[in-house]
Amino acid sequence: MIAQPARRLLAPAITFLLLGLAWQWVAGRHGAILPSLLDVAGDLAARPAFYAANVWTTASVALAGLVLGGLAAVLLAICFVQFRFLRDAIFPVALLLNVTPIVAIAPALIVVFGFNATPHVIVAAIAAFFPMLINAMAGLQAIDAEALEVFRALAASRLDIFLRLRLPSSLPHLFAGGRLAIVAAVVGAIVSEFTGTADGIGAAIVLATAWLNLVQMWAAIFCSAALSLALIGLVDLAERLVVRR
Amino acid sequence: MSLGGVPAIAVSGLAKSYRREGVPVPALAPTDLVVEEGRFVTLFGPSGCGKSTLLRLVAGLEVPDAGEVRLFGRSPAETARAKALSWAPQSPALLPWLTIRQNLALPQRLNRRADRHPDPARQPRPVEEVLEEVGLAAFADARPAQLSGGMRQRAALARAFVVGAPLMFMDEPFSALDELTRNALCWRLLEVWEKHRKTVLFVTHSAFEAVLLSDRVLVMSPGPGRVHADIAIDLPRPRRWEMTETAEFAALVAQVKHALWAGLGEGERP
Repeated sequence: MIAQPARRLLAPAITFLLLGLAWQWVAGRHGAILPSLLDVAGDLAARPAFYAANVWTTASVALAGLVLGGLAAVLLAICFVQFRFLRDAIFPVALLLNVTPIVAIAPALIVVFGFNATPHVIVAAIAAFFPMLINAMAGLQAIDAEALEVFRALAASRLDIFLRLRLPSSLPHLFAGGRLAIVAAVVGAIVSEFTGTADGIGAAIVLATAWLNLVQMWAAIFCSAALSLALIGLVDLAERLVVRR
Repeated sequence: MSLGGVPAIAVSGLAKSYRREGVPVPALAPTDLVVEEGRFVTLFGPSGCGKSTLLRLVAGLEVPDAGEVRLFGRSPAETARAKALSWAPQSPALLPWLTIRQNLALPQRLNRRADRHPDPARQPRPVEEVLEEVGLAAFADARPAQLSGGMRQRAALARAFVVGAPLMFMDEPFSALDELTRNALCWRLLEVWEKHRKTVLFVTHSAFEAVLLSDRVLVMSPGPGRVHADIAIDLPRPRRWEMTETAEFAALVAQVKHALWAGLGEGERP
């Protein structure tokens, strides 16, 4: 028998090793489709500044999008929970925004805002908005009905009910929403960078496609996955600091 | 302190029905009820007899279709605004992110306006004192998840005591507990209540509990819910464990049960 913590590390390690070997096997036979992982790692090591700069650009766009979209979503969710009418009036718009493919919006926003970070941040914000909205609404409504009665029997104010019951009850949902939203924001940022910019992971991928530079393309893809993981870790860290159990 | 003979609870013509798939289902037939100050009164009956509905209407948590509730001459809403009633729900309903001490202090943090002009009938109690009284002092800094079910329910009762309201409403507070725990909690409640003698309206479906705790047992029956027997429990106070083994006690429990059966339809009686 292997000890529990060791197994938890060993099991996925074996999976990744097998995946890596399969990858190398394909890359060895069809170099025009898949670059060798060693070449990808080599390129990452050879041009760290290039990749770091692009990751940083995308990270700041995604984070700005998360803050903007997430904040808007939480504020809107608060209004929705307090005022039924607002919810009926505005929620369909949010739904419409959600079903519109982000790729379709990005070029339109560049026309409006020009060649700078603004349209990319807005696309990231739109992407982050919906998962955050849904989770915030669920969280703000997921309160213990009997605890609410204890509050009502003491004639607690609406503000008290919100600050001392609804908001703390919703925190786990808000952070779950945050994890989904940050991943969505990274996707939004990269998709947006496909159009009309020379900076960021998205641009690095598009340029690599144009030059048929498979090594750079896959290095950028790995960077984007690492970035998403790191940002999820950031949300986890924030949760651990805020939510006491 | 009796306010010129005004009863603690005065209910007249109180009725309520719920809508089920668009059809109104009567939950409580027009009910009258008067409870004098300082009495422990239990609503006893099978599920669906309207006992929780009656309690919730009296506590102002639901709006009646007809009739009126007066608590020391005021409406339930006015009474709540003055923090002059406290509510103990079926589940402990403690806030999981707060410690037991912070949960008990919650009533002090809510509706502070009522504390600026304190109701003369209300005697708020220090959290530490109540913690001691219910035997939770050692667990004051624990979170609800770290306590047993019985301790959580004790903390919930303690939270209701902290309010120091002259009126307490308890909706089957022991129903989720095993029998041993609920007996222990019952004795604890009895002990604390006999010290402070607030007016209590208590809901249960245990005849033993009803007789042990109460001055009066109102037996309710379903379809629609109504009070059909009002049984005085004249056992002396403070109540002692030995009393529960007397013939007198057994006779009262039997009387309460028979009253319950009399209100049930054919085929629902044993």
